[in-house]
Amino acid sequence: MCASPLDFLRSGPPPPRVAILPDAMFFSRAIPVAADATREQVVSAVGLALEALSPFPLAQLYFGYYWTPGAGRALAFASYRRRFTVDQVAEWASAQHVLPAFAAVMGSDVQPATTVILSAPDGLTAVHWSQGTVPSLVLHRVLAPEATAEERATARAELIRDAGEARTVVDAPSPPAAQPSRSDREVSFAAGELRSKLDAATVAALDVRDKADMAALARARKRDVLLWRVALGSVIACFVLLAGEAALFGAGMWEKARITKIGAQKAEVARIMSDQELAYRIDELSTKRLLPLEMISVVAAKKPATMQFLRATATTSSLYTIQIEAQTSNAGEIGGFKTALEQTAGCDHVEIRDQLMRNNVASFTLLVTFKPTALPPATS
Amino acid sequence: MIRAIRVFFLARFVREKLLLTGFAVLAAAIWLSSLAGRTGRLLREVRVTTSSLNEQALWMSNKAKIEAQAQAAAAQLDAARTLDATRLLAEVGAIAEEAGLKTYSSGEPQDQSNGQFSVHTLRFSVTRSDWDSIKNFYLGLQKRSPYIGIEQFSLQSDRANAALLNASIRISSVEISSH
Repeated sequence: MCASPLDFLRSGPPPPRVAILPDAMFFSRAIPVAADATREQVVSAVGLALEALSPFPLAQLYFGYYWTPGAGRALAFASYRRRFTVDQVAEWASAQHVLPAFAAVMGSDVQPATTVILSAPDGLTAVHWSQGTVPSLVLHRVLAPEATAEERATARAELIRDAGEARTVVDAPSPPAAQPSRSDREVSFAAGELRSKLDAATVAALDVRDKADMAALARARKRDVLLWRVALGSVIACFVLLAGEAALFGAGMWEKARITKIGAQKAEVARIMSDQELAYRIDELSTKRLLPLEMISVVAAKKPATMQFLRATATTSSLYTIQIEAQTSNAGEIGGFKTALEQTAGCDHVEIRDQLMRNNVASFTLLVTFKPTALPPATS
Repeated sequence: MIRAIRVFFLARFVREKLLLTGFAVLAAAIWLSSLAGRTGRLLREVRVTTSSLNEQALWMSNKAKIEAQAQAAAAQLDAARTLDATRLLAEVGAIAEEAGLKTYSSGEPQDQSNGQFSVHTLRFSVTRSDWDSIKNFYLGLQKRSPYIGIEQFSLQSDRANAALLNASIRISSVEISSH
């Protein structure tokens, strides 16, 4: 279990499945390359060199190489394919990387003139760096499984001597093993105290399998990693959504409390609204008087003799307005009547609407608005 | 733990990986859609509730002012001369009799009250009456102003006899509770 959720998310990929092959199966050579060579040029140089060095064509070899950009050499290694049984090769299908043990330590951060001694039950391997990041030599001594410590020490001394001048000798008592790394773009190995970090392109170059198969595997792996990231992203999204649900629940409770508050205040607010309406109506009764007959009298005084009023309506919502439905047998009088009303003192606005003509009788609606205080209340 | 899950995932067949990923994406998408819908609804509710609360707060903050307005309006009236619904009905009937109205009717008074003040409203109808009677009735009502007020007045000529009129009047009165 990770220490914290953040560690959980930051946690890199697990150690890759690596098939470590016996060093004894491989021969190796340092191949000079131009310092500004590209990887394609290095691949080509390695292929040509191995074809020259090996009695077998390249197609019958399992080979790989170690090279870092800017290095003046590459270390190539190869093995005749038939040295591996069909069963051994079948096991590689489930491995992400297949490489000899010595190749795994090539990403070690070592000083010039350093020799790393890898110890295995069947022998010892010396990887020597004269200068630069690419080893200059790889030597192997086969030992019988029952070899004594003295015999192993003697073989170790011979290897160190044969490897060349070594100011530093690092012993790796256990074979290299893959370690968890920070990302998919890096592979880490540990052999005793020795740590080796290799980037994805370098590990691909170290892999001895058929390069076309490896390209297919790399594509499949890329697809799998993409699927994993999408799945992981979806799961993380689900956790975020879970947090969203919690927030929504909280917000819902808060909203519920507010709705309850509205319900609690509703009666009080209704009472205040009723108070205001009452205050308005009392004020209206006290200060504003609807004077319908006074308004009708003023309008009727200007009415032509042929005109009849059918209905008159006034409400306190339009305190100074009277609406009159009227009819006349002389439609031409309507305009004059309107003008006469507009000229009446105290009249603010006159409007004629809904004019209709039927059987030579014109009907219309008259809206007359008076100025406030223009009409004195009638007393008799 | 995530390493173990990753190992488990990557060790599956491709179809299983696709299925697991598909389920995870589908679940997240459905959940997201559902949550977004519910969040949208809640936000709309919150906006409505906020508006209602603000409106209520406005009314409550004006409570004292409104009550003062009601008191001020009522102060213009003599409580002893205000009319309750029964007295309004009786008073209007008396004015109608006094005005010489023969055919009239009134509806049931409608009341609006806050306990301290009440406004009573009455629908009064006059049919087939002459102008003078209606005018007298109107003047009688106006004399009782502001204790009796006219809220709506409608006058129309009778269809059968244009010399007669029909009137519909909404009359109201204020009652100030003495206790």
